[in-house]
Amino acid sequence: MAGVAGVYFDGVTAGRHGVEVVLDEAGGALVFDGPTLEEGPLRWPLVRLRRLSDQARDSGLTLTLHADTEDESPRDPARLRVNEPGMTARLRDICPDLDRRDVQKGTYRKLALRAGLAVVAVVLMLFVILPRMADTLATLIPVEREIAFGKTVVAQMERALGAADMGALRCTGPEGRAALDAMLTRLSGGKALQYDLEVQVFDHKMVNAFAAPGGQIVVMRGLLDTATGPDAVASVLAHEIGHVEERDATRHALRAAGSAGLLSMVLGDVTGGTLAVFLGERLIQSGYTREAEMRADRFALDMLNDAEVNSEGMAAFFDHLHEMAGGRGHLAEYFSTHPASETRAEQARANAEAQEGTRPVLSEAEWQALKGICG
Amino acid sequence: MVQDVHGGNIVEGTYAGERGPLFRLAVVTALLSVVTLGIYRFWAKTRIRRYIWSSVSGGRDAFEYTGTGMEKLLGFLVAIVVLAVYLGIVQMILFYFGLTLFTEPQTPEQMLMQMAAIYITVLAVVPLIFFAQYRARRYKLARTRWRGVRFGMEKGGWGYALRAMGHWVLTLLTLGILLPRQTFRLEKYMTDRSWYGNAQFHQQGRWTGLYPAARHLFLAIAILLGGELVAVIADSAVLAGTVAVVGSVWFMIGIVSYRVNAFRYLTANKFLDGGIGFEAQPETVNVVSTVLLGGLMVGVLSALIFGGLGLAVVAVMAPASMMGEGAVFLGGLVVAGLYILALAVSGSLVLVWIIQPVIDHVAGTFIVHNAQGLNTIRQRAHDSGADAEGFADALDVGGAI
Repeated sequence: MAGVAGVYFDGVTAGRHGVEVVLDEAGGALVFDGPTLEEGPLRWPLVRLRRLSDQARDSGLTLTLHADTEDESPRDPARLRVNEPGMTARLRDICPDLDRRDVQKGTYRKLALRAGLAVVAVVLMLFVILPRMADTLATLIPVEREIAFGKTVVAQMERALGAADMGALRCTGPEGRAALDAMLTRLSGGKALQYDLEVQVFDHKMVNAFAAPGGQIVVMRGLLDTATGPDAVASVLAHEIGHVEERDATRHALRAAGSAGLLSMVLGDVTGGTLAVFLGERLIQSGYTREAEMRADRFALDMLNDAEVNSEGMAAFFDHLHEMAGGRGHLAEYFSTHPASETRAEQARANAEAQEGTRPVLSEAEWQALKGICG
Repeated sequence: MVQDVHGGNIVEGTYAGERGPLFRLAVVTALLSVVTLGIYRFWAKTRIRRYIWSSVSGGRDAFEYTGTGMEKLLGFLVAIVVLAVYLGIVQMILFYFGLTLFTEPQTPEQMLMQMAAIYITVLAVVPLIFFAQYRARRYKLARTRWRGVRFGMEKGGWGYALRAMGHWVLTLLTLGILLPRQTFRLEKYMTDRSWYGNAQFHQQGRWTGLYPAARHLFLAIAILLGGELVAVIADSAVLAGTVAVVGSVWFMIGIVSYRVNAFRYLTANKFLDGGIGFEAQPETVNVVSTVLLGGLMVGVLSALIFGGLGLAVVAVMAPASMMGEGAVFLGGLVVAGLYILALAVSGSLVLVWIIQPVIDHVAGTFIVHNAQGLNTIRQRAHDSGADAEGFADALDVGGAI
């Protein structure tokens, strides 16, 4: 059989060897020789032939041999290039493993080991080490720094809610303010708190309240509008004070700072990665807050009991919130940062049944003044 | 081999890649990456590199990329373990120190500045990014072969990270005046550690030689600063706006011009094994017009694709909404699938219409002088590559290919 022209690189030097290639089907080998080959004719067994894939010039074949080497793939470093259509077509037909992807021995064991290690490292960091570190650091930070940070967070929040200037959203009705202070005094009842509380009402329709680091609490006007009565507002305040005393906000911020980079690294490269990071963070944060929310609820009930405020107001408010949310399914509940309102309502109601000698937290006039704090 | 005017042999670069095959490869591998939740991306990158490397030829011989997807995945897992511990702890501690810098904000500006202090956590990543850049280049070289002989690069990632940070600080402090020094020194650091087989590369020339390459960059800055100054003095909003537009466009072209001309200078002053020289003559005009026209093409095609997607959403969701919740869910799945397809296609368009044409242009102007010296270069040992650019992947350093 007549040979065809080929080009051979021996994998030892960068020299280019023109060769004549003969396909010896009976002998099961590709045989080639050329004037510059010192070692004489070479025989490449067809069963060990592999071709390079995803090549730009796919009319020809660049061949290599399967071999036990230390390389990234078990391949001989030598290459043989054949362009003649007849021979390349025949080689594609008769070589059984031309397209086989061989991997080095022990690769899958290595893969399992490293994947396991990576999962363990990430899980340990996210759920054990970073939360512990956040707890420790949150107690180490000087209180005045925490207060400064909290004020910045509140200012930032105000901006995000659409205030043009600092303090533009703050409601300052003097009678409402007095009612709010009366409520706070009643709740704290002379108890020594770790932080001086600074409670703001923001003129915004959102039904919510936040605790920022360092004793900063923000109540939205929407919450006052929706609340079923002053007792309900008092219970929300008590709940937020619970967050403040536990330094929950500071801890969240620290924990988020530690886990954000990590999460975006693990999930970041998938198409639509930002969404994945957001959801991942949300899942972790909500798991954390559920625990924190429960603690804050417990704290709130104790506070209401000490202040002789009826926790039925809290129960009614949770029922109301639950109705507003339309009793959505469990998926939404899991993703929300607050535990199910139904459960919380039951807890507050059970507490209310055991309460004795409660009295309203505000008079009707004070309550109307508080509702009108934003003018 | 072709002879050059001085009687030495030359090897000329060519590029043989085509739009169709690369586009198909990019779309298919992008979809596989999505379906496998991102795991296939290591193989996707590998296959695209194999195609592009094999498109580049020196003389009659194509380059070969021998990296594997598996080693990239293994390297990524190593990087994850190291970075999980490092990033988690260091970023939290940095954030803590960021917090201790806080004071009570008096003005909105102060408030914004303090919030910016939170981004102090980014500092944790900076040395790693430079480290990852060096390692990625080392890995790419170690997996590149020409005529069966490996390229390679010595260890030196941390040395590079240290120098890169120092140069950046100097460049920023001098308002960019020392940028050529940074470019030259960092390139020299890498080139002097690079090998083809048993032959070493050397970067010669001087860093001041890069100033001509930076002329449009500095000119743009001069226009911006000087023009705005005049505009302020003349109190003319029209002049200020005009200067801003002209200056910014000039600045962007200046960046491309700097990169192209710096590449020409650095290539012309690279030597392999003492006597083998190089030459590359890419044109700024060509690169800019390729990027502009390609960008226009990608923009138009992407707009058509996403417009079609919008129509498809209406076509699927309108009937589905009549048929109840199950149909809406299925319709949502179809829409999500189409969305992913659209993303994959528009990402691949960038590769095919911008990146490949630029590589094509640069490779086509590449010449190796005194190429007879190449024949005696011998193979070098395999480099295990340790993390196989896992750090670069985890930190998202280093672009499309």
